[in-house]
Amino acid sequence: MSVWGLPGLVPLPVVLPLVVAGVLLAFSKLLPARLPDAIAVLTTVTVSGLCADFALHIGDQPLVYWFGGWTPRDGQVLGISFAVDPAGAILGAFSGLLFTCSLIFAWGYYDEVHAHFHVLMLLFMAGMVGFCLTHDLFNMFVWFEVMSVAAFALTGYALRSSSLVGALNFTVINTIGSYLILAGIGLLYAQGGALDFSALAQAVAKTPADPVLTAAFALVAMGFLIKAAQVPFQPWLADAHAVAPSPVSVIFSGIMVPLGLFGLARMVCDVFAASPEVHRVATTLLLGMGALTAVLGGVMALIQRHIKRLLAFSTISHTGIMMIGLASLNRVGLAGLLAYLIGHGLVKASLFMVAGIIEARCVGTDEIGLRGAGRPFWAVGIVMAVGALMLAGLPLGLMKIGSEQIVGAAHAFRQGGTGAVLIGAACTGAAVLRVAGRVFGGFGPVPGEEKRAPTEQEREKADRPLSLMLAPTLLLLMLAVLPAESGRAFLDHAATMLRHASDVRDLVPGSATGGLASPSARRGELAAPVMRTIGPWISVGLAIVIAVYHLGRSRIQPAINKGVDRVLGPWVEVLQGLHGGLIGDYVAWVVVGLAVFAVTCAFA
Amino acid sequence: MTGMLCWATVAWLLGIGLYGIVTSRNYVHLVGCLSVVQASTYLLLLGIGYRWQAGPPIFYDHPPGTPAVDPVVQALVLTDIVIGATVTALLLALVLRLHKRTGSLDAGSIRPLSR
Amino acid sequence: MTPRARLLVFIGACACVLPAAVDVVMHMPAFGVHPLPYGDAVNRLGTAERHVTNMVSLVNFDVRGFDTLGEEFMLLCAVTGVTILLRGARGEQPTAEPGYAPGRPDVRRSAAVTAIGRVFAPLIVLFGFYVVLHAMTTPGGGFQGGVIMASGCLLIWMGDGYRSWRQMMRTEILDAAEGFGASLYAAAGLAPMVLGLPFLTNILPFGQPKDLLSGGLMLVLNAGVGFAVAGGFGVLFVEFLEETRAVPLGGGE
Repeated sequence: MSVWGLPGLVPLPVVLPLVVAGVLLAFSKLLPARLPDAIAVLTTVTVSGLCADFALHIGDQPLVYWFGGWTPRDGQVLGISFAVDPAGAILGAFSGLLFTCSLIFAWGYYDEVHAHFHVLMLLFMAGMVGFCLTHDLFNMFVWFEVMSVAAFALTGYALRSSSLVGALNFTVINTIGSYLILAGIGLLYAQGGALDFSALAQAVAKTPADPVLTAAFALVAMGFLIKAAQVPFQPWLADAHAVAPSPVSVIFSGIMVPLGLFGLARMVCDVFAASPEVHRVATTLLLGMGALTAVLGGVMALIQRHIKRLLAFSTISHTGIMMIGLASLNRVGLAGLLAYLIGHGLVKASLFMVAGIIEARCVGTDEIGLRGAGRPFWAVGIVMAVGALMLAGLPLGLMKIGSEQIVGAAHAFRQGGTGAVLIGAACTGAAVLRVAGRVFGGFGPVPGEEKRAPTEQEREKADRPLSLMLAPTLLLLMLAVLPAESGRAFLDHAATMLRHASDVRDLVPGSATGGLASPSARRGELAAPVMRTIGPWISVGLAIVIAVYHLGRSRIQPAINKGVDRVLGPWVEVLQGLHGGLIGDYVAWVVVGLAVFAVTCAFA
Repeated sequence: MTGMLCWATVAWLLGIGLYGIVTSRNYVHLVGCLSVVQASTYLLLLGIGYRWQAGPPIFYDHPPGTPAVDPVVQALVLTDIVIGATVTALLLALVLRLHKRTGSLDAGSIRPLSR
Repeated sequence: MTPRARLLVFIGACACVLPAAVDVVMHMPAFGVHPLPYGDAVNRLGTAERHVTNMVSLVNFDVRGFDTLGEEFMLLCAVTGVTILLRGARGEQPTAEPGYAPGRPDVRRSAAVTAIGRVFAPLIVLFGFYVVLHAMTTPGGGFQGGVIMASGCLLIWMGDGYRSWRQMMRTEILDAAEGFGASLYAAAGLAPMVLGLPFLTNILPFGQPKDLLSGGLMLVLNAGVGFAVAGGFGVLFVEFLEETRAVPLGGGE
């Protein structure tokens, strides 16, 4: 243990930002202009450092911390505990890093309302870290809500009618998700009489086939999947991410959305570890949903022209890819999930920052209207192109490790996942590459009618120095590209502890729960070597081909274009219609998701 | 039988609240429907903590040890109420702003996100 | 989707969920007789270990006090968000005249309404204070009491109208109360850490059962919640009622 990692400091990563936020708010009118910026950055750096230190110094047992000193008595869990495991701690550290970069990116962005932006950002981060570290179901829900409420408020920050509607849709759908989680918690409490993960896991082990417990899992999983924007719950994400201020979108896409999957992983591997029924439902349903999400998100990204909305759909697609890793429920898949989560977060955060730079410099977010507008600062275009190739699966850094393991796990356990990973990666990479080519290279003119931008003109504060915006962008992209082979062992260790959380922890004296050794756990070790080496290059090649086709359309025979449009046009209309921004539609799809869960539970 | 009634009411509140949101043509009405969905969680939690022939978990007039209902779920419901209040306040603020911007409360007629 | 198509999708999905819902309802534990080990444990040890008689407050402020910390800051978050959404577009001058929705008649209040407002507002605020104070012994607590106090002030708005109310509610004080209350909660939790004990450990003397001052650290936490909630809801009411203010000429949206 290093000095920083004293076990007594476990609550600090959550409590410190809370205290700073409270003090900032109380003195908001007295503080000089740039001081809140500095204080907030200092806080996020500290939190990130603390979490990283925890992550690196935890051995084979999670660091358990009982709040208020309420340790379990006679087998009865009373209080709330944090159980810091490497996976949770590294995600806390990663969110600290993203918040730091985002705050630097946003430096001087908001000076109208006193420090309110910083207060919300700090509370947002505290909620995330609490969510990652807690070991109590209701406490997890509370931090989940803190995170959500901050996110709702930040989405509407710009006060345009599109951002207000985006924030409304986001709030309503995610709040329904929260209530579903709460209902699931209620069912678990009714059956298990506890809220602590380990105590609940023991209760589940006693009656693994109880329909009430399966229903509880379905409700909690639905809530997390809504947050993770999986099909059919995905449309809110595009609305919210497209309209939120860019520094906030960075956080949304970089970490908030994938955290839903992390919550789900905790549920499946810890609370429901001993329920074969839940594992059966999870493997079939999550794999199908993930594959569908990866493909649909990719296709949707290709047919967007609003740059941030396009990036939002690519987030949906890549979250689907992570879900394929999660669905395998084995160590390899979970390690892939963690690596891909962080790698993708780095890339996507820097891409959203590029979108923010475009928005601030060129006044607009319409790809076609901005053709060639980025030429004066072409260097940013290179960043964007590299980011696009990373999304497409360029075998570099953490994303390479992640996709290797996800493909390996998916391949071993069912073939379909691999194809979805490749298609999703190729489509999103192509879409972003196309934007880079059009905005920064001036390629791909679009004639006539279509030039009209469909959305209202958006702008962000323009007079910020480019260097302050570019520095965090470059830093994040560099971290994403750097070789990360040394992190492989750590992620493996983290995934093992996450997978076997219920075995490792035997807090309550009495019976150990014993994790479920699914057959896929053994087969997951085997990865298909051919797919591992060739796969990434297939998707990168495909991405380049699609992007070149899109940009070169004006030079192709008009007859060919017309034919392609005639075949694909109606489908594009249908897909756009499904994401039409109507809250009633989205809620109807939530109920459809509930039905899918109900049917799967009945027949799995 | 009473027990079934309680759980069935929970399911009914959840369903009818979602029905209201799906068919809503007015954002204020929609926020109200969301509260109905939330009411189902109140009822579920309090129903779980209930116990026949038991008093409140307040041992002021009764000595400790008197049969009492579950205080934990009541505390959870209190947190739930705060969540409901915060979300409702935020939503109403958004709706108010949107109404000032567009002069309408009907999701179907505003549609700034139609593409 | 058209409204009709949407409704059909909804009904179809509900038809699929219904059998599962019925199955779950049939398998739920028996209402009112199933075991509640967690709650029973709290009921058993509450008065003995912390000298309080209100077990709900014990759960809120001690056993699961960490949840309430999150809850407090969630409220802070929402109030800040509402402030941004409403104040951000409006400006902050508290000087403008109250506005009226077009087409709505401006009915003068009767003297009886004004009198009732003036008499009951202080009484209700006092009652809210009473509810906050008795958190450890009888039903009540910082949250409930704070809401009562903040809403009691609304009677002034009903009776005397916007301007008197606005003069009474000073946003600086409300903001400060809110930030102070939430920070007090967090600071009270941090204090035991300085002594090397876990966060939120109850380190103060517990007092006598049924006494107003029983419960130790819970009293401080309860006061923090009271401040935060009264201030937070006060800000919410101010921000929403500010919307009734007239839009200054030329500065409209």
